[in-house]
Parts: sequence; structure tokens; C-alpha cells
Amino acid sequence: MKTKRRVVTAVTRRRDYPGPRPRKSAIVGPPKTAPARRPAASAAGPGRDPIPAVDGVRAAAVDLSVDLAPGRPGTLVLRNPVLVASGTFGYGIEYGEVVDVEALGAICCKGTTLKPRAGNPPPRVTETPAGMLNSIGLQNPGVDGVVERYAPLWAGWQVPVIVNVAGESIEEYVAVVRRLDGVPGIAGIELNISCPNVGKGGIQFAVDPEGAGSVTAAVRRVTDLPLMVKLSPNVADVRVIARAIEEAGADAISAINTLSGIAIDRPNRRPFLGNVYGGLSGPAIKPVALRVVYEVAQAVRIPVVGIGGIASLEDALEFLYAGAAAVQVGTAIFADPTVPLRIIEGLRAFCAAAGVPAARELVGLALPGGRRRTPPSVQGVEYRP
Amino acid sequence: MRLLAAELIEGREILPGQFLQTYDAPHLTSARAGQFVHVRTPDYTGLVLRRPFSLNTVDRASGTITIHFRVTGKGTEWLARSRAGERLEMLGPLGRPFEVDPRSQHLLLVAGGLGIAGVRLLVDEAIAAGRAVTLLFGAARAADVYPSALLPDEVEYVVATDDGSLGHHGPVTELVPDYEAWADQLFACGPFAMLRTLAHQAAGRDARLGVARLGRRRGGRTPAPGTARARRRAWLQVALEQHMGCAVGACLGCVVWGTAGPVRVCREGPVFAAGEIAWEPA
Repeated sequence: MKTKRRVVTAVTRRRDYPGPRPRKSAIVGPPKTAPARRPAASAAGPGRDPIPAVDGVRAAAVDLSVDLAPGRPGTLVLRNPVLVASGTFGYGIEYGEVVDVEALGAICCKGTTLKPRAGNPPPRVTETPAGMLNSIGLQNPGVDGVVERYAPLWAGWQVPVIVNVAGESIEEYVAVVRRLDGVPGIAGIELNISCPNVGKGGIQFAVDPEGAGSVTAAVRRVTDLPLMVKLSPNVADVRVIARAIEEAGADAISAINTLSGIAIDRPNRRPFLGNVYGGLSGPAIKPVALRVVYEVAQAVRIPVVGIGGIASLEDALEFLYAGAAAVQVGTAIFADPTVPLRIIEGLRAFCAAAGVPAARELVGLALPGGRRRTPPSVQGVEYRP
Repeated sequence: MRLLAAELIEGREILPGQFLQTYDAPHLTSARAGQFVHVRTPDYTGLVLRRPFSLNTVDRASGTITIHFRVTGKGTEWLARSRAGERLEMLGPLGRPFEVDPRSQHLLLVAGGLGIAGVRLLVDEAIAAGRAVTLLFGAARAADVYPSALLPDEVEYVVATDDGSLGHHGPVTELVPDYEAWADQLFACGPFAMLRTLAHQAAGRDARLGVARLGRRRGGRTPAPGTARARRRAWLQVALEQHMGCAVGACLGCVVWGTAGPVRVCREGPVFAAGEIAWEPA
């Protein structure tokens, strides 16, 4: 089992940044000097949406890093809070020619199962109002294929790759995670207990707290990798399930997976998708996702990663305000693969203009009680795969 | 594969509901027949997916490309209305092209309706290479027949219509046996049912023509399926259409069943040797 070290590096003191907040744990910075003056713009306070005036120096000083596994310090510290969502970015190589993957916060790869899966019959995708339906059906080369084909590549990347894991039974989840544990290049696990597109895609685990808790606990027992669990919105009360997952030892929660839906092929008078049912994603589900993030962020203490219809800086900010520590961009990548990078740059410029020294201070501003959820600083902690 | 803006130079309706648009896109003129571009509709349209289009023609001298499409929904409707000067983001060239065996002198092309857009560039390429080209075109009625004025003079152009209003009365696939012996290779694009019929016809060709395969074929071993060499050796190559998400192979949305498992139309295709596709999925 691979252990990950928290690496403490010297923090370069920047002109506009008052420096890391003192913590009990061993972050050793340069000797404490008088805190630098906070930029004047901070008087306006975060939370407004001024058009960012890009100030090169100030923008470069903004701290975008986020720790998605505060319970295991230093194991999953992202350089910025923008990830690409599972299933929309393949294994990180497909868009390689047009997107600089190294600039992303992290990559969630395509859902991985124990055995190779051929997936659902075509057609598998269709556009719907302000969104799309997909029923890929977890096509993937199986965990061995992923470990052999892609992990060696990932090991050479600076950007952490989080493997999305799906299964039909607790034993299968455990077997996949056992295989992934300790493999160089794999930075974390995203437990997909909410795929709506396969008969037994684990959705049964996402709909009741006991199932969700038991699968999370079973996986937790076999790995020290940072563990994120992806919630389904297709449930009655998502807070109960989120709490069960937190208690079972998850490091983070991502929300939401797609909503179940169908499309009808009018000329032929039958369901359009080969699998009949598909998962709805895109801007159409953003309000649902925001609601789930807002509820879950208040129900648990672990970081929440928001997913659902994020296509711009504005969308990402809304999710941060609603309590998401980070966001995943999914469907928007299909229209414009550069969206994640533009959100990162936009967020940097926004923080600079708003006088926010670290993006994590934006987290949870819209929650009752405001900044309650501001996670601890990770200044000076670097990700080392 | 590059992601760049292309400016619409001109567009016109060449057939009822079908448009031919010319774009200034020098980065796409290196494309080969069968490859496609993934075109983005603007944010305000509320459309979340790009639209894939075959590269209909490319003109390296002027740095322009054309795409040919039918208005079938909101995206193509918006595209048809856009005016000269509109800048569209195009991702491409994508996919794998048709592979012509260097020894093939007689090329038979079969297009069903809008499938002409998939093989149109191959006409230009083949003629530039000094090959003889026969294009069989099938449409529902005379009004939908691709105008011969848009084709080079060197092409033999044969039309079939379902209602008999122009040319052969019946499906275009009925014309293929007449050319079977003449053609060194057959390239097709069109509705799946048409391609399936062609695939069945092609499967029996060697026996009908008495073609004997003696000894080892030139070039040694049988090429691995899915490779350019395998397609080059195939008598029938087809360009498939499918709804797409990413068009770079990440989302697995455009998959069709192949004989060796699922294949992505955007990455392994859109051109396949007929033998690589499972025409009758279980």
C-alpha cells in the first residue's frame, strides 16, 4: 500500500498575500513577519461579481489550491479547484492535442469496472433542451486494462488522475479498488454508486443510506487512496445518504451524477436511445445540482465537489458559493474543450479583482452562516504523486 | 486535430433544405476524404453539442473548405441562417480517411442522399490522382438529386431514384452489380440500411466473379483489422454516421458494434472496411 507524504516547501512571500494562516500541523514557512497589507479591493468584499480586471501580479498571487482529502493531508491537493468529470474526458489523452491537461486541477477518468464492458447498444447520445442524454453503459477496458494502458502514462503527469470506479456488487467495487491501490499514477478513487445507465450500475447503492455507507466502508477498508463518492440526484433525501457516506470514511463527496431520462425518436415512434434510458447532463440540470450541493455542504464536513451544467466562470462561482470546494466540468467540454482552462484563468482573475487571496475563501458564501465551511489552508503543501 | 475559428465566406441552398457552405479554414485543408470537422454552434443557441460534418471539398490554394448539410434540427437551422462573415469554431480534421489502394485504377463510389457529402472529396482526390471514378447516387426523388454541375466533368455520374422520376427506378444498390467487375474498390456513404446491403453484396463478390486468391497476397500477411492497411485492402469501405458527443474518442457516445467489439465512429472511423462492422447485431 502506497503511502503519500505531505511535502512542505518554502512559501514564497508574495506582495499582496498575507501568507499562510498558522496551523497546528507542521507547515513551516518563512519566519513570520508583519502581515502584509490586504489589497484595497478587498473592501468591496468577495461575493459581488465585478468584471475581473486582470492584474498580472495580483492574479499570479491568488491561491487556487484545494485539498480534497483533508483527512489524509497532502494526498490529494489540487492546484486549482477545476476538475474534468468522469466520462467526458476519456483517460486524459483524447483531448491532448487541443487541451493542456497539466493545467487542470484533476482528471476523473471514465468509469472503470472489474471486467471489460462493451457498453450499451447505439445510439448512445442525443441532444435535449439545454443538455444531453447519454447511455454509454460503462464501456471500459476493465481495471486491468486501465492499469496497464493508462496508469504508466498518468504516473508521469503532474495533474492527479482520479479513477472513477463502478460495480454491480460490493465485492466488485472492493476488487477494483484493491487492484488500483498502490498503482503509481492513480491519485484517488471516485466511487460511482450512481450510474443510471446499466441495470446494476451501482445505483442501488446510491438510493439508500445503508447501501451507500456499506459500499463506502468496504472500499475504505482496502485502500488509503483519497476516496470520493459520487451521489445520485435520483433520491428522496440526499443529505441522509451524504452523511452515511461521510461516516463510512469517504474523504470527499461529488454531486451530482446524471438524472435519468428518455428521448423519443418521433419519426420511428420509439425510444431514441438503444438503451431506452439515458442520463441527463448539461445546463438543464444545474439548478438541481446546486440544490444538492447546497444541501450536502450543510450536512457533511468533508469537501463537496459540485458537478452539473458548469460551463463558465459564473457557473463555477455559483457552485463555490453553494458550498462546493471544487467543481467538475463535464458536458461543456464537448462544446468547448477549453472551458475548464478558461474557468481556472477566470477564477484567478476574479479572485485578484475581488481581493480574495485564496479561492477557497469563496466556498460556502451563500450557505446559511456564510463562511462556515472555509476549508483549512493548504498553502505550501504540494501534490506529489 | 486543431481547434480554430473558421469564417463563413458563402453559403447557398443547393437542394431543398440542403446547404453548401464555404469556410475560410486553412488549418483544415490538409484533411483527406472521409475525415470530418466538429462545428460549434454559439452559446446563445442553447445547444450543448457540436455538430459533425464531413469535409465536402477542400481547396488548398485558397485555404477554404466546404460542408454540405441538410437542415434537420436547431443546430443545422441556425447554421443555414448564418451569414457571410460569421466565425465558427471548428475542431478538426477528425477521424480516419478512406484508403485507396495504389493499384486501384477504377473507383466505384456509392452515395445515398446526403451521403454524397461523405464521398465528395474522394471524387476530387481520385481524379487528381488520375483514377477513373463512377459515382452512383441514390435519392428519393428527382428534386433531391445532387446537381451534376457540382461534380468534376471526369466523373461518370449515375442516378437512381426511389420513385423513378430520374434515372434508375429503385434503390441505388441495384446498380452496383453492373460495376462489380469493373471496380477495383468501392467506397460508400449513406443510410445504414444501404451500407448493409452493399456489405452483403460485397461479401459474395469474389465467388460471383470467380476471383481466386492464390498464394500469399502482395505485402505478406493479412493486415491487422482496424489499420489503414486493412482498409486499403478492402474492396468495400464505408463511412458511417452517428450522433456524437466529443468526436475525439473520449465519451464513447458514437460507438457502433464492430465484429471485434465496439468501435468509435469518431476515432476508429468514420471510414471502416465493410468487414469490420457487425451489420446484423445480435
